Amino acid sequence: MNDLPVAIRLALAAARELVDGEVCFVGIGNPSDAALLAKHSHAPEMTLIYESGVVDSDPTSKPPLSTGSPSVSQGAKMIADGLAVFSELQAGRIDVGLLSAAQVDPRGNLNSTVIGPYHSPKIRMVGSGGAHDIACLANRLVILMPHDPRRFLEKVDFITSPGLSDRRSGLKLPPGPVSLITERARFSFESGTAALSATMPGYGEEDAVEGLSWEVKKTPDFKLIEKFGNKELVAARSRFKYLYN
Amino acid sequence: MMDKSAGISALVEEHIKDGDTIFIGGFGHCVPFALGFEIIRQGKKNLTLCRSGTDILFDILIGAGVTSKVVFGYLGNPGIGLGHAFRRAVQAGTLAYEDWTNMAMILRLEAARQGVPFLPSRILQLGDIADASIDVRTVNCPYTGEKLACIPALKPDVALVHAQQADNAGNIQMIGVDGDTVTGAMASVKILVTVEQFVETAEIEKMPEVTRIPGYRTTGVAELAWGAHPSYVEGAYGRDDDHFHAYDREARMEKGLADYIRRYVYNCADHAAYIETVGKKRLAELRAQSSSRKIA
Repeated sequence: MNDLPVAIRLALAAARELVDGEVCFVGIGNPSDAALLAKHSHAPEMTLIYESGVVDSDPTSKPPLSTGSPSVSQGAKMIADGLAVFSELQAGRIDVGLLSAAQVDPRGNLNSTVIGPYHSPKIRMVGSGGAHDIACLANRLVILMPHDPRRFLEKVDFITSPGLSDRRSGLKLPPGPVSLITERARFSFESGTAALSATMPGYGEEDAVEGLSWEVKKTPDFKLIEKFGNKELVAARSRFKYLYN
Repeated sequence: MMDKSAGISALVEEHIKDGDTIFIGGFGHCVPFALGFEIIRQGKKNLTLCRSGTDILFDILIGAGVTSKVVFGYLGNPGIGLGHAFRRAVQAGTLAYEDWTNMAMILRLEAARQGVPFLPSRILQLGDIADASIDVRTVNCPYTGEKLACIPALKPDVALVHAQQADNAGNIQMIGVDGDTVTGAMASVKILVTVEQFVETAEIEKMPEVTRIPGYRTTGVAELAWGAHPSYVEGAYGRDDDHFHAYDREARMEKGLADYIRRYVYNCADHAAYIETVGKKRLAELRAQSSSRKIA
């Protein structure tokens, strides 16, 4: 299992979070790979929506570099505009959002804006894009991060996209992150803080939390996932050849 | 019928003033690179650039020194990495900026398009964005009492747009990914457009539902094939992904970015010279990659 590239293992792990028939708002990169993998295995009736306005497409011939890239509109059933798809998001009609970021904390807050202080950053990054909007508004949020301890912090440098918050219900916002997926593990936010709920094939509990700066609890229903589904592995091999390079 | 056709240099010279706020169209698709490069050639100054998710054209316009402020949702090289000129300018403290989100930028432009001072939204009430570089106020809904963020209107002075085709009255027809291109154009005071080709008005009338900007709103339009390269145009040419990767490598260092701008902007007297620099072989490859979807 560990001979599979990280990007594939992360997509295989995150695809498990997606349910057939759902409407899914995805970003480019790991989130899009995971959603497409799910669509080509256990969730053929899932609808993928990109912030560029593209609805229900199938961009697998070539990895799209941006949500506006040509391959994103391959097989599209509708090309609307940004206003239309963000309206769907705000109205609560998107079941699940998938996001990645440079940094994550135990409450699922995400940073894609700066490393270091905001006004004198060590590294200025790209900013929110649609990430803040998806984190606020998707009915369920799944966070994808490659296992890299430098990116898992007690406190992120800047909260671009909000995680769990006591203020969400007062603002009539959905609850936010439900899970944080790495190629090694699944963490659940059910208890209010990221807790280890599963390990992915090829990894043990120690691998799952290796180098993390906060003390990670285990959920009562913790389990070892011994292998990925056959359908998912076949789909990964046949449809995501570019991820193997 | 008023003839709105013009050359690209006349459009930029007559309609863009130093200090203007410019909306740059193109969400990955139909990014108006040729208009942006002409702005650099003409040495415009102190521009404020805005849109939701940017392309490298923003970064190039920062690196070329024509930009004093950026207002955006995302600023980088999509799917590849950071905007290197942007990163350097922010770290050096030489550029003003407002960090919004893509949805917020779309709502800002939509508010201006509708002629209202703000639109209410549920975003920007959690996290650090609202307290960092922008002014977001809140309102209690007079009907329900819910607390909502007021996303303020943003009315650009000039919008830059590239599209498939237009007639010389400035009826602009576009298919493919839009993002916030039409929203931003319709929000702006002036709209400058380049198109792959001019067609007769009778052609426009065959498919009026793909007219996205009506002639009465268009300020001026130039016919300019390949005007969106290295981005792509549905039905005309594919995206030059290698160019975006090459930009990422070159722009990492200030000297590399200067070389890039010299090669593609200053050393090219006009767009025809730019096309020559890109090369016939590359253009033929991109033409072959294009989708076959056309405006009927």
